[in-house]
Amino acid sequence: MNFFLAVIKQTLRNLVQTWKSQLLTLMTIALSVLIFAFFYLLYTNALHTARQLDDDLRLIVYLDEEPSPAMQEEYRNKIQKFDRVERIDFISRHDAFNRFAEQLDEDREILADMPKDFLPPSIEVYPFRSLVTLTKIKRFSDYLLTLPGVLKVQYGREWVERFYSFIKLLRIVVILSGTLLILTTTFMVANTIRLTLLGRKDELELLRLVGASTNYIRVPFFLEGALQGMTGSACGMIALFLLFNWIKLRFAVSSILAMFEFTFFPLPVIAIIILVSTLLCAIGSFSSTRKFLQL
Amino acid sequence: MSEHQEEPKLMIDLVKVSKTYLPDIQALSDVSLSVRKGEIVFLTGKSGAGKSTLLRLLTRMEKPTKGVIEVSGHDLNLISTVKLQILRRSIGFAFQDFKLLPERTVAENIAIAMEVSYTRPSVMQTRIRKLLQRLGLVEKHNTPTSGLSRGEQQRVAIARALANNPELILADEPTGNLDSETTEMVMALFRQYNQQGATLVIATHDTSIYQGTSHRVIELREGRIVARGDEEPEAEAPAPDPALAFADDLFSDE
Ligand SMILES: Nc1ncnc2c1ncn2[C@@H]1O[C@H](COP(=O)(O)OP(=O)(O)O)[C@@H](O)[C@H]1O
Ligand SMILES: [Mg+2]
Repeated sequence: MNFFLAVIKQTLRNLVQTWKSQLLTLMTIALSVLIFAFFYLLYTNALHTARQLDDDLRLIVYLDEEPSPAMQEEYRNKIQKFDRVERIDFISRHDAFNRFAEQLDEDREILADMPKDFLPPSIEVYPFRSLVTLTKIKRFSDYLLTLPGVLKVQYGREWVERFYSFIKLLRIVVILSGTLLILTTTFMVANTIRLTLLGRKDELELLRLVGASTNYIRVPFFLEGALQGMTGSACGMIALFLLFNWIKLRFAVSSILAMFEFTFFPLPVIAIIILVSTLLCAIGSFSSTRKFLQL
Repeated sequence: MSEHQEEPKLMIDLVKVSKTYLPDIQALSDVSLSVRKGEIVFLTGKSGAGKSTLLRLLTRMEKPTKGVIEVSGHDLNLISTVKLQILRRSIGFAFQDFKLLPERTVAENIAIAMEVSYTRPSVMQTRIRKLLQRLGLVEKHNTPTSGLSRGEQQRVAIARALANNPELILADEPTGNLDSETTEMVMALFRQYNQQGATLVIATHDTSIYQGTSHRVIELREGRIVARGDEEPEAEAPAPDPALAFADDLFSDE
């Protein structure tokens, strides 16, 4: 009971005494959390949209005639030769007709007079949904066109391709800003704590001489770090939330952004971001104290 | 204060202790010295004789180059960090250079010694008030120590050393900046703590404070003990002191 009282008193003293650098640290943490969370939010929303577009991600190879099983095997080999793919489906004329009929659903009577083989047979190639394959989808399509008996190759519209490279870029940015977040928070906190320690060398020395326990000396700094991490990241998240809503209000009505539904992080994700920042800062301060005090 | 009944009767035991500062300043040479619990010992000698060094060794602010030091039954060469921390809480050290925090008030400075033992705030306030009263510093309660005279700072350092009701009190030149009247105030306070069971080691070159005393006076010269006051016949309580008459409530925390 008294331990906590003493430790909290000490922590508050630390905060008051070095409030300028505390504020600076707080702002740095808030800013890095804001930057990271902003890109991460963009990324998750983009991914969400991307999943809806997944079906556009196949190449349809129209053939001039129904391939025999031997031919099918050969097509398969030749396709695999370009790149490994997730799946290859052969769609016969018959299959194509049935599928079309299914799509028409209630209007299927209009097909009644049509010959059952008026649609060309095709091969549906599902590339791996990796961003690497996406970058060469155009070349893939060109390659498929050179195979014998191929009439035409169709694949997702070009903007899908662009969109995926956008996601790819985003992912890099997320990773970079995440690294930045980790570096700045731990570094800034460790540095502020170091400054505090330096500024209070005499006091810490005295505390040791009068027999203060290791925890009595160290826990306040640990708390200080954790507090900075928590407050800083919470500020960052609040700023992002405000920014998010502002953007939504401002642009969502008119522009193409209206096509997509943007969502903010769910509560658990917010909690995790704050928790991780808190932990990072606590670790930063802990290691800095450890080094400095040689505990 | 002395709650360890079964522990040895010696508070301090030094066996052939030497301390050499780099590169080769021989501050103490082969010092052997025992101090019983409840004793008052004066440590004298010219400046540079090694008095402060000896006191610092007793709280392991420094380690001896050679020899064994036991304080309150703990071998300081072997003591664990945690045990040392606990031991230090039972030692009150009035440092020669005070080691006060200049931007903190008098009360805050005194409180530090008690805070590390998690003393209740109300108890701390009572003790601070009583000590300041006894040392003539009542009106300085909320003054930052940077705003005090040397003599006042010295008394604050002494108050901090006494605040935690230590078993062992180490005072390094405690009266160096005090006039004779204040010196007597401080000595009376020391005697009172001694009566309550505290052991005192007082390093001083102020002959007036140990002249005519019945307590042991040990003289250091160039790091060696050259004169031992008579071994105190018994560790009896000293003769009643008039200054104690009004101070009976000092230890009651109320
Ligand atoms: N930290 C130190 N480093 C080097 N020499 C020191 C140090 N502290 C004390 N000394 C030397 O040790 C000797 C004893 O000093 P000290 O214990 O302070 O004596 P006293 O307190 O009796 O004046 C002196 O010669 C002093 O210069
Ligand atoms: Mg000295």
